[in-house]
Amino acid sequence: MPAFLLIVITMIAFYFAYRFYSRYLAEKVYRLDPNFVTPAHELRDGVDFVPTHKHVLLGHHFTSVAGAAPIVGPAIAVYWGWLPALTWVILGTIFAAGVHDFGSIVVSARNRGQNIGTLSGKVVSARASTLFLLIIFFLLTLVNAVFGVVMAILFEKNPGAVIPALIVIPIAIFIGQWAYRLGRSIIIPSILGLILLYIAIPIGQAYPIYVDGLAEAVGLSVRTTWIILIFAYTWIASRLPVWVLLQPRDYINGQQLIVALFVIFLGVLVGWDTISAPAVNEVAPNSPHWFPYLFITVACGAISGFHSLVASGTTSKQLDKETEARFVGYGGALGEGALALAAILACTAGLGAAGDWNAAYADFGAASGGALGNFVNGTGHFLSNLGIPATLGATFAAVVVITFAGTTMDTGVRLQRYILQEISELAGVKALSGRVNLLTTLAVLIPLGLALVPGGESASGKGFAFGRLWTLFGTTNQLTAGLALSIIGVWLLARNRNPLAALIPLVFLLFMTTWALLLNLVDFFQKGDWLLLVMDAAIFVLAAWLVVEAFTAFNRERMNPSAATADR
Amino acid sequence: MSPTSLPAHARRGSRAGVRSHQAILVREQDSQHSGSGCCGRLGESHTELGKAADFSHSRARMEQMGEIYRALIDAAPDLDLVVADPRNIVWLYPAIWRAARNNGLGVGATLRSMGRAGAPVAVVVDGETLFSGRLPESETVVKAVLDRVALRFDA
Repeated sequence: MPAFLLIVITMIAFYFAYRFYSRYLAEKVYRLDPNFVTPAHELRDGVDFVPTHKHVLLGHHFTSVAGAAPIVGPAIAVYWGWLPALTWVILGTIFAAGVHDFGSIVVSARNRGQNIGTLSGKVVSARASTLFLLIIFFLLTLVNAVFGVVMAILFEKNPGAVIPALIVIPIAIFIGQWAYRLGRSIIIPSILGLILLYIAIPIGQAYPIYVDGLAEAVGLSVRTTWIILIFAYTWIASRLPVWVLLQPRDYINGQQLIVALFVIFLGVLVGWDTISAPAVNEVAPNSPHWFPYLFITVACGAISGFHSLVASGTTSKQLDKETEARFVGYGGALGEGALALAAILACTAGLGAAGDWNAAYADFGAASGGALGNFVNGTGHFLSNLGIPATLGATFAAVVVITFAGTTMDTGVRLQRYILQEISELAGVKALSGRVNLLTTLAVLIPLGLALVPGGESASGKGFAFGRLWTLFGTTNQLTAGLALSIIGVWLLARNRNPLAALIPLVFLLFMTTWALLLNLVDFFQKGDWLLLVMDAAIFVLAAWLVVEAFTAFNRERMNPSAATADR
Repeated sequence: MSPTSLPAHARRGSRAGVRSHQAILVREQDSQHSGSGCCGRLGESHTELGKAADFSHSRARMEQMGEIYRALIDAAPDLDLVVADPRNIVWLYPAIWRAARNNGLGVGATLRSMGRAGAPVAVVVDGETLFSGRLPESETVVKAVLDRVALRFDA
């Protein structure tokens, strides 16, 4: 089947979803009112509350929600075949992510732009705020662990990507000095920086960097050495002022996102590649079954709880008209779905013949450990359709993912530091209060420990437990989405509206998440993966807690619609 | 500044039969954008997580832009006033290109304007970047914007 056909099918599905389902949500479920005075107008201050044109707002919203995660999940999930992965991306985007992202904006806008953390306490229960904090703690721990491994895998398998990835750092530092210290324009230097980065790709190819010698000297594997180096870098990066490195990298990342999406879809169109992966894969014995693992492997790209933070954190405060929440929220979800589609195409049509695909996805360990490599090679193939050598194209793709993952880790460690500080204050542990270096070290060591957990689930017995780690990350992301969907559902119920649009994805997500967590518990116990077992058990408790909170809140609203959730 | 300080004929809207006048206030939102959006959110008290003042420099610029925004709203309620993040490249640069070309700027001047607009803070009127990188006092910026809108019409 031509890969282009998958693009056509997905785009047609997204078109009809936007045309009909999002309109149904807007008119019948959320009942958007064009005359409603949004927080952007009511509290208009030109700072946080600014009425913003829907096209501007969609640009802000989409660049805030797009990242590396919609690439990694689908790249693993095609292990079960392209059909389950694509079906979940399409249906998840239409019926879960669209409802979730759109609804988060609406509920927040109806509550004067309050964010999801605050709304969970107000709409669900006071305890839900603590639950939210704990879910985010685990989510960030796993985010940092998985992206540390992602970068290590890419450096190990693409040593040509090391120089370009390193060159980004001085470029970003220069741009930061230029823009923030000297007060100059940033766009031209960032475009020049991007060009320099692309020039560095063939240089990196010519001079690949290996750490084998260092690994041997310290008695560690190459991947472990990379992981430790990456976390050491993250410690330093997260201690720098954001304008030195993080913010300038944001510009380069934004440009890379646009370039990468453009060349992937153009490469598919020009090359007219066919899908080499089976529609449904006969997976190796003892592999995780697609049901329920598919639904937590692909979180971002089908539904991501983190979008609710963006939707309620900034987007709702800038909504010009309530009716535009449909365009921004639902439209942004469709954009994220398109990013996941690009990853599916790279890993199903870009890997060559069926034999190559079967080798790359021989078992779940190979599929999860090699997912990023497969995405990178697939993208390299699409670029070769445009006349760019495949090896250079692969390095380009590796650099895109590495720079995104590096920025994610920088942010993730900073956030984890704040949360650790907050938790230590709540627990009355004064020894940690204000000790930034110690808190940063803890924020690095916790995910580092997880990232170094050996797995052995691949046929070779040498693979990291990356697939397991990734699905755990997926469960926490789905729990965040579950919390937001609970808020949306209770909010709808309190207004005597049909809550099924939110309830169905909520029940589905909670069921799949808890089931997968239970299966993981058994698996980790049998394999003696004690650290992952503890992590999984803790997340399972949070999932059970969320189920209880959601059920109690729904029951309360059904029996006695309360003024507690009243808004305007 | 009184709302009438902008000439009525220079105001936005089809009712006056004249082309819209647009001012874009470019400033960074004090939060993370690309590369961490789906897995991280960082900012001040109004955003989801994080109490540290990591983005205090961006916040200070946001607040100054807020001052300019409010002054422009008061002085010229019909001005098409947009606040945009410079990282929103998909919207910002095509918008400046369109506005500049529609207002008669040459290709070279338009490209220079686009280059200057992509700063942590900038002020663009009808596609022309008046300030970039650092802003003078808010009153100076407001006056420059209003003068430029009036001048453009008179020209």
